[in-house]
Order: sequence, then C-alpha cells, then structure tokens
Amino acid sequence: MAEFSWDIRSPLERALVSGAYGAPGDAGVALTEIRNFDLVQVMARRGKAAEMSKAAKGRFDVAAPETPKVARTADATLIWSGPDQFFVLSKGGKHGIGALGQAFAQSASLSDQSHARVLISVSGTKARAMLAKLSSIDLHPDVFAIGAAAATSMDHTSVTLWRSADRDGLAVFSVLVFATFAESLWHTMLDSAAEYGLAINHSEDL
Amino acid sequence: MRIVCPFCGERELGEFTYLGDAKPVRPAADAGEDAVYDYVYLRDNIAGMMSENWYHGGGCRAWLKVTRNTLTHEISAVEPAAGAGAAKVGA
Repeated sequence: MAEFSWDIRSPLERALVSGAYGAPGDAGVALTEIRNFDLVQVMARRGKAAEMSKAAKGRFDVAAPETPKVARTADATLIWSGPDQFFVLSKGGKHGIGALGQAFAQSASLSDQSHARVLISVSGTKARAMLAKLSSIDLHPDVFAIGAAAATSMDHTSVTLWRSADRDGLAVFSVLVFATFAESLWHTMLDSAAEYGLAINHSEDL
Repeated sequence: MRIVCPFCGERELGEFTYLGDAKPVRPAADAGEDAVYDYVYLRDNIAGMMSENWYHGGGCRAWLKVTRNTLTHEISAVEPAAGAGAAKVGA
C-alpha cells in the first residue's frame, strides 16, 4: 500500500520568494506571510447574538467586536467579519477550534478556517500607497486607526482587512484572504508594490 | 454609485450585487396559479422610488433592502433585509 505523507504547506509556497523584489534601494513595502496560525470563525445562531457576546466576554475577557473593529487580548485577536460573527486568530492551539467549542456550544457555530485562509502582513512607508491601488477603503490614519477592520474586496477578491499595532512607528495592515485566491492576490500585491521596492518574507509570529 | 451598508459603512457599488425588486411576497400555498405566476414572473418597471434587494457579497455578506430612485440613483434608505442573520433585524 502506498504511503502518504501529509505535509502542511502554505498556499503561497510556490509564489512567495523571500528577498527583494521590484525597484532597487530601500524597500517601501514589506510583505510578510504569517504561517501556522489558528483561525476560528464564530457565527451566532439565530437570535443568539447576545448570548454569543456574553460567551466571548467570558472566554476572552474582552467584548467581541460588534462593529468593524478588532479586539485584542494577550494571546488572541478577535476580528469582526460581518454582523453577529467574528474570527478568533491565535497561535499554538490555546484558542483553536478544539479549545473554543465548549464556550460557544449554546450560542454560536464554529468553523475552523486555519488552513482555509492566508494571512498577509503589509507594512512599510509605502504600505498605504500600495493598498490604495487595491482597496477602496479610506486608510488615512484619522479614519482607519489601529484596531479598525473591514470586510471588503481587493482585486475582486473578498478579504478581511485590519490595522494591527504599529511597528517601528509605521502602520501595519493585515489581510486575510481565501487560500485558493491567495496566490492571485499575492501577484497583484507584488505588481502594485513593485515601483516602491519590496521586502518579501514569511514568519511564524502573529 | 455608493451604498451605505448598515454594517460596514459607505462602500463602492462593485462590492454589491443587485437582486431585484424587494416588493414581491411569496404567495400562500393555496393562492392559486395566477398569484404564483405574478410572483415569479411579473415585475413592475418603476420610474422613481423603488425598494430593492442588494447583497453585500464583497463585504459583510449581508442582504440589504435599499430604497433607490431609479431615475436619479439617489438612495434614501438602506436597512438589513429580514432574515439577514443580523441581531438588529430580529430572529
């Protein structure tokens, strides 16, 4: 009998080539794929939104976002993904699908999206200029502050976009995209950022 | 044209899909053939204010009821459609 080995591989394994890309010199945009995360979609059952909010507060000690925002705890990020639903993004299984089932058993349906999405972090001095070519969301710091989120489209592809904590004084944007659309969006991002110069990498750190 | 999604805020038209007149109501099972024919096939061609179903598929994936003037594209109201799964609509 043939033996199969099931390796976990990123959907961007072929497309992502670490290093510099595009215009030479200092990179204006840093694109980093974040790998090996736990992602759980939590959706309230009909009429159970208030119960779900209570369960989330009990489990995470912060309120689940009810408007397009993210809520952070020490080891998890709750990301608004639509009315009465949110994602739980974390690492190491502590808030994975197995760990959350009991807390939401009475109020919400969970589905494991850990291997169904690709998480791309966009930063650098030209991050906004590059994203402005792909998104119609106003990313001005006055409008899209740290913790703001949006369920929107980039290049006709549904994405969940939010602004993470700043790094080195610069804004960091996170993009969650369906795994099978990730390669296409990745190439679009490379094209958009090429004129600014890119630093491409992947990381295990959320 | 932009639509102010009650969940997401103002978004471009490309994120939405038009799903037609929001007025027709599914007739009762014993309403008769004419009522069903009317419900399935017959649509008013309104020049003016119209209640429409739109789907925010490129965003929060909620169904919306949009009141739009078909002559000017002016939108006077946007609300979650019944059964959109949203708490504010009621279960």
